Amino acid sequence: MENEVVVRFDNVTKLYKLYKSSRARFKGLFSKKVPYKENRAVKNLSFEVRRGESVALFGRNGAGKSTILKMVTGVTFPTEGEVYVNGKVSALLELSAGFDIESTGRENISFKCSLMSMNEEEIKAVEGDIIKFADIGDYIDQPLRSYSSGMKARLGFAINVNAQPDILIVDEALSVGDKAFQKKCKDKVAEIMADEDVTLLFVTHSLTTAQDFCSRGIVLEKGTKLFDGPIEEAIEFYEAKN
Amino acid sequence: MNTIKEILDEHLQYKEQIIKLAKSDLVKTYRGAALGWSWAIIKPLITLFVFWFAFSVGLRSGKPVEGYPFFLWLEAGFLPWFFMQEMITGGAGCIRKYSHLVTKMKFPVSIIPTYVNLSHLFIHLIILGITFVLFAAFGHAPDIYALQIPLYMFMMLVFFIVWSLFAGMLSALSKDFQNLVTALSSAIFWMSGIIYNVDDIPSRWVRILLKFNPVTVIATGYRRVFIYKKWFWTDKVSLVCFAITLTVAILGALWAYRKLRKEIPDVL
Repeated sequence: MENEVVVRFDNVTKLYKLYKSSRARFKGLFSKKVPYKENRAVKNLSFEVRRGESVALFGRNGAGKSTILKMVTGVTFPTEGEVYVNGKVSALLELSAGFDIESTGRENISFKCSLMSMNEEEIKAVEGDIIKFADIGDYIDQPLRSYSSGMKARLGFAINVNAQPDILIVDEALSVGDKAFQKKCKDKVAEIMADEDVTLLFVTHSLTTAQDFCSRGIVLEKGTKLFDGPIEEAIEFYEAKN
Repeated sequence: MNTIKEILDEHLQYKEQIIKLAKSDLVKTYRGAALGWSWAIIKPLITLFVFWFAFSVGLRSGKPVEGYPFFLWLEAGFLPWFFMQEMITGGAGCIRKYSHLVTKMKFPVSIIPTYVNLSHLFIHLIILGITFVLFAAFGHAPDIYALQIPLYMFMMLVFFIVWSLFAGMLSALSKDFQNLVTALSSAIFWMSGIIYNVDDIPSRWVRILLKFNPVTVIATGYRRVFIYKKWFWTDKVSLVCFAITLTVAILGALWAYRKLRKEIPDVL
């Protein structure tokens, strides 16, 4: 029996309106006559991902990968069509997203987890794991503005992977910090993926990493889907094109 | 209708986070300064001292109103104005201020105006306490009319949450709008009954026109509590004007939210 669909794109188009200036954009609010250029980042895209699948997205810069991931996380919205997402999404996209630099590491853990709709108990339960994983020592009780960018990224990574996501989104983020921490990150993602109920969406330029983690690949170009199938065939297709 | 439901749902779902965010907004504004958030109180205290000095020591002008020194009369109106002044411009900037949440993660944008207003309301409560002490020091202890304070405070809070949603959305789209609000804020001040009593104006139409400015209604309301000792239902015109302005503001906020919610993350 096939698992239920957790991510579905239904004829999704994402259009960025490029106005000449912010004044023109403001005028555009009241009148349709104000001229603007269109950038179609995603064109008429449809696909489904089922629970437990691990899917890699390939494509050159500007293929629409980031826009797709942003729509799955709910940061940005489709212009046309529908995006359906079922489950708690954790994104390793912008690792320091939502951090408040004046608050301490510990405060930020509780704050970010609560924005992911976790309650106090659930947060308490994962706090220890997060602190242990981030491994930043006494800094955990210091305000974030005293952190190095590497420490912020490690804390961000630790929160996102320990928040028990249903859908995990990874965008090249496995290259955080030093070699040892990178390995730890890869192992952690592998560990999460061992749970058959977790779904993975993965964007990378490293084909070998993709092959390690994913069983299915989608190749994109200029916002349209060129290929969707088993990972080996997807990689072959992508390499043949370049 | 759907927009109202969406906004209310977000508030229900994130009610705990709203409180948390309000606290962190308060802390964030003043952390880093050695005296911390006591600045929030020092600022209005200085203004108060200036009033006292200017009108009771220096100019010695401004006749006592209903037996209250003129500077106390001023303070009764400035008490809500401190909040409203912050929220006119702060409300317009609220979504920009939190753009790092809007553009980087899934975040309920409609709660931003609410917690920014709540965080300022806390400072308002402290200044309210100081005002009560001040009036008591001049021999005017709080009386039964003080029971109206929660009503006027609630009206003020609701109006400025709605305003912040409207102005915050439009300012997120265009900095020009934010500048416009800043430029207009002194006009709003002078066209409201903060430094004169609107009911003393001879022309009835000007009186009514000024009452469409919610700042007038709220500031006069606080004065009716502290100085004039009148109940809110004795001035129905003000209540009707306020209701009309609030309705227009709600419609504007819903329009702005519906139109811009999906565009804001791409623009900021």
